[in-house]
This record gives sequence, structure tokens and C-alpha cells, in this order.
Amino acid sequence: MTVQKGTFHRHPFSLIGSAALFLYLFSLASFTATAVAEAHPDALKIGVLAPLSGPYAAGGTSFVQAATLAVEQANAEGGVFGQRVTIVVGDTQGRVDVAKSEALRLVSREKVSALVGAYLSEETVGVMEVAASQRTVLIVPVAATAEITDKVRRDYARYRSVFRVGYSLPQWADMIAAFLSDRKVRRYAFVGAGIRWNRELGETLERLVVPRGIAPAYTAYYSPGNPAFDTVAVAAAASSPDIVILADPGRNSVSFLKRLREVAPALPALSIGGALGDARLAASIPLSAPVYVQAAAWRGVSPAATSYVDLYEHRFGAAPVGYSDTLPHDAVAVLVAAWRKAGSAATQAVVPVLERGAFEGVAGMYRFDAEHQAHWGTGPGALRGTIVRWEHGGARIVFPPR
Amino acid sequence: MLLDGLFAGGTYALMAAGMALILGVVKVINLSHGAFFTLGAYVAYALAERGIETPIAAAPLAAVIAFAFGVFLGKSFVNPVRSHPFALPVGTLACALLFEQAAQMVWGPHPLSIEAGKPWIGPGGLVVRRWGVIAFFSSAALLGGLKWVLSARPGLPLRLIAEDEEIAGSLGMDVETIRYLTFGGACAMAAAAGALLSPSGAVTPTMGRAPLLLSLVVVIVAGMDSVAAIFLLSIGLGIFGNACAWFLSPQWSYVALLSAVCLLLAVRPAGIVALAGRRD
Repeated sequence: MTVQKGTFHRHPFSLIGSAALFLYLFSLASFTATAVAEAHPDALKIGVLAPLSGPYAAGGTSFVQAATLAVEQANAEGGVFGQRVTIVVGDTQGRVDVAKSEALRLVSREKVSALVGAYLSEETVGVMEVAASQRTVLIVPVAATAEITDKVRRDYARYRSVFRVGYSLPQWADMIAAFLSDRKVRRYAFVGAGIRWNRELGETLERLVVPRGIAPAYTAYYSPGNPAFDTVAVAAAASSPDIVILADPGRNSVSFLKRLREVAPALPALSIGGALGDARLAASIPLSAPVYVQAAAWRGVSPAATSYVDLYEHRFGAAPVGYSDTLPHDAVAVLVAAWRKAGSAATQAVVPVLERGAFEGVAGMYRFDAEHQAHWGTGPGALRGTIVRWEHGGARIVFPPR
Repeated sequence: MLLDGLFAGGTYALMAAGMALILGVVKVINLSHGAFFTLGAYVAYALAERGIETPIAAAPLAAVIAFAFGVFLGKSFVNPVRSHPFALPVGTLACALLFEQAAQMVWGPHPLSIEAGKPWIGPGGLVVRRWGVIAFFSSAALLGGLKWVLSARPGLPLRLIAEDEEIAGSLGMDVETIRYLTFGGACAMAAAAGALLSPSGAVTPTMGRAPLLLSLVVVIVAGMDSVAAIFLLSIGLGIFGNACAWFLSPQWSYVALLSAVCLLLAVRPAGIVALAGRRD
């Protein structure tokens, strides 16, 4: 063999050195949000918990961008009590243990006045414990499990500082059910990742729609590791539904919809939100049948929503998807408004204000019920969300009827 | 279900071909193989953004870029470290994570997507799965080509090194060079596969992980001596996984597939070719 050890052994170090330098240079650009907080040590701090690494990094990045935008807007309006507002970001990595430790770090070391987050339901339930023990206000933007509001109801004294601006699973199912009725759907296929909240959403939706004469024709939950899209797409199409509901906000919804279009080009699909709200992704899907996407708000729903989308697009170079960005934005906006109304950032002063007040956000006017849940749904005074249909050249709002 | 199994198996085989080459000739487990698959998909996306939307045009470019990276990695890291059996999987895994992180920083964490194109409509309105067909025939062509190369004169050094490196060295072959060129070639195959299949799903930094695991499973179970066994096992696993998804539940397909593999390895650790008595 012709091994020249002396020559080769130098190379691993140059490789590692180059890699380290490469990562360092990029990391300089990645932690600007944290740097903002460090530049203003006397500012009012909001701890933002989102996954910036790991499989949920895409949603987490939008989350932080939208929170940043809300804080910039608050500061442009003069801040709170004359003080600037900043965010300090904790990367939860999509893991419960990391989310809890980051929440504790933000409260005890960074001295944040309130928390916004986390992203996954599991993470958020963990962060609730930290917020409860530290008596810190926690605004939940996107985690949808009913466990969050259940805890507030069962043990109000402990969890009274936890509020959710995002829709709960029953509310989410209610909005989907209203859309299915509006579209005169009789049979639907429900497909999603085999994780807890997807199953909860599927079961809740079925309970709501069966009395309306709408039946599930096919239900499947795939493994996120190896989703078996082909089989699920074929089976879903073979069940002859009027529409396929994609209960997966992540990247798998894009891959699944492409497979579905290959086997059933004329079958409409409704995404419950997330990745398919991205115009760049939607443009890659054949529009041989309607593709609907649910969102908390969308450009054109209201002047506030249009202004937000324009601002977001200008600031970050792409339009928001209307869910994992809009709700964190509104979580920060609601918190800042509550601080201003309370005249203080202290938890004991802010909680009663949040309980009784009404707060304007991009998606509408937020009011919290006894379980500290924002009022989403189809009833009077509720935040209604929206459903858009992708068409060549953009999205058209199709629900609620206007 | 059978057709979908063929198509899914074709995807596994595309990745497994390069993995088999690395395991057979370089004799290392390359956990960065999935990262080259991802690299290919990003190259296809970058070209699509510039108006070149056919992945067939992206595959050669992706292969060239991956070959260059693969040769660099093979020469600077794999060759000197390969004598340490534990260091290499860890090192190649670190390279994969490094690439994922770099991809996230360059292209962002959000999923990207290339236009999937209209489905092919066959006679009588029969809808043909475009990307399934492409995966199947690409893998058949790639593995057929590999089989031809290995059985013909140009493949003699590869076969000899796979069999006995010392004899190959004593015959004047530059074993180290052939090793890193083979490594680069296998990486090029993975990248070409990634580029070809990129329109079928979303392009993300971590998209190479699932194909990596499945291709590793295929190569270890099939053994790396028989290209035909790799292809047939890939197809078999594709059909088996789809059958489980169809008859049990989509969530069970992965579990059942890996359980079957564990069982097979427990019965015959040397792989299925040995089961047929061709290899001990």
C-alpha cells in the first residue's frame, strides 16, 4: 500500500479548522436577536422560547422573526413606560427538557419580565411549570393542546399567569368543521403525522362533523421518520373523499401533497396551516385541484393584517405563512398592550388586565375566557381566522365568506 | 401497492448503490452519505431558481460538486482515519451535521420546493407517478452501470481492493488514490440521486437522514458484493413497507420494516447473499 501518513495526518486539522471558522462566521449573523437585548441592559425584556435548531427550526425562525417585528413596532411607538422593549431568545431545540431549562435561564438569569412560547405542545406544557413556579406571565402563541387550558381551569391559583392567544384544538376543529360545511363536503380524508396533537385534532374534528352529516372516509397518521406517503396518498384517494385534510404544518405536508397530486390530480386538499402557507412552496404544487390553507390572518383580511404582511415581507424578504409567525407577533403585541394598560410589567398587575381587557392584534381583537384562552371560532366576537385558496399568481381568501 | 413498493424501493436503491461502493472498497460506514443526497437536492433547487427546472440537468452538476467534496473528504479525513473503526462513523456523522448546519445557514431552515410538474396521464386516463418512475429507472440504470463497471476491466482495481488491499498494493495499484476517488464517486451518486428526486418532496437540510438509514440497512442486509441483491432487496423492502402501511397502518410500516431487518440479521448476520450460499 502507498500510505503517506505524514501528508494525510495534517489534513484533518485543516478540515476541522476550516469548518470551525465557517461556522463561526455564520454564527455571527445568527445571534443578532440576542445581541439586541445585550445592547440595552435596562430595557424591558421578553423571553422568547422557540426551536431555532433541530427539526422544527423553520417554524421557530419565523416565530422569532415575528416577535422581533412586534417588538420593533412597540419601540417605534415609544416603547413601554418610556423604556425600550427587547427580546431574549431561548433555543428550545424542540425538546421539553431544553425548553424548561431555557425558560428558567431567561427568567432567573436574563431577568425577563414575561415569556412568549414555546412552539410544541409538549415543550409548552413544560414551560408552564417554570412560569407557574417563577410567577412569570407566559403567553402561548401556537401550542394547541387542550392540556394548557385544562391546567389553568383545574389549578387557577398555580397557572393564573398563563394565557394562550393561539387557537386550542377544539377551536381549530370548529373552524375546520365550519369550512367543510361551507364547501358542502360530505366525506373527508384526514392525514397527519402520528403525534399527539394531530390525533387529538382528528378525533375532535370527527366528533364535531359527524352530527353535521360529514363523515371521515379515511384517517391515517404516518411516522415522521419514514412517512410512507405513497401508500397513504393512494389509500386516501381510493377512499373517494371530497377533500383531503393535511394535519401537518411541517415540511411533510409539501411532500405529501406532491404525492397526492401524482395519484389524484383532481382531489382538493386543505392544509391546517404552516409550510403550505409559504407562497414559494405553494408555487411548486400543481394546482390541478384546489389547495386551501388555514391561517390566523392573511393579507387583505383587515388593514392591520395587510400592514403586518407588508412589513414582514419587507423586513424578512418573504411573506409570512399566517400561523407560526402571526400568532407569536400577536402574543408580543398583546403582552406589550397589557403592560401599557397595567402601567407595570409586574405579574400581579398584568394578569388582571389580561383577564379583563381586549387587545388588538393582526388576527383581530383578543379577549381571554376563564381558562385564559383567546376566543377563536365561529361565534360572535370570536377571532375567526381565515382560509385561502392558492391560485396562479397568489392566494385568494375563500373563508369565512365575505 | 406493488407499484408503489417498486417506486419506493427504487429510491432506497439509488442511495444504497453509492453506500455499497464505499463499504465494499473503502470499507467504512459513511454517515455523511445522506448529506450528499441533500447537497444534490439543493443544487437542483439553486438551478431551478435560475430557470433550469429539470433535475436531469441538475444531476450531472450535483455529481461533479459532490465528487469534488467527496474526494476532499476522502483524501483529507477518511483515508487517514479509516484504520480507527470508531473514529470514522463519528467523524462522518459530524461532517453530515456540519453540512446540515451550513445548509441551514445558507438556504435557511424553511423547507424549499421545486415545481413537481404535472402528472403523467397514460392511456385511459391512467395517472402515472412521474417521480416514482424516474426513481425506479434511475436506480435500475445506476445499479446496472455499477454492475457493468465492476464486472468489466475498469472495475478490476475496485474488485481487487475490495477483496485484498495488500495484494492490490503489491501489484502497483495506488490503493489510497483509488479509495478516495471511489469515495468521491459514491458521493457523486448520492448527490445525483438527491437532484433527481428533489422535485418529489420538500428540500430541507435534514432530508438526507431517512434515505441514509434505509440505504445503510439495505447494504448491510444485502451485503455489498452483489449489486443485484441490493436492487432486489431495496424493491423487496419497498413493497414490504408499503404492504405494512396498507394492511396495518402507515405508522407501522417503518417499525415493521426495521423489525424484519433485525430478524433477518439475527438469522444471517452476513446478509441475504450468504443466505443463498454465495457468501460466507
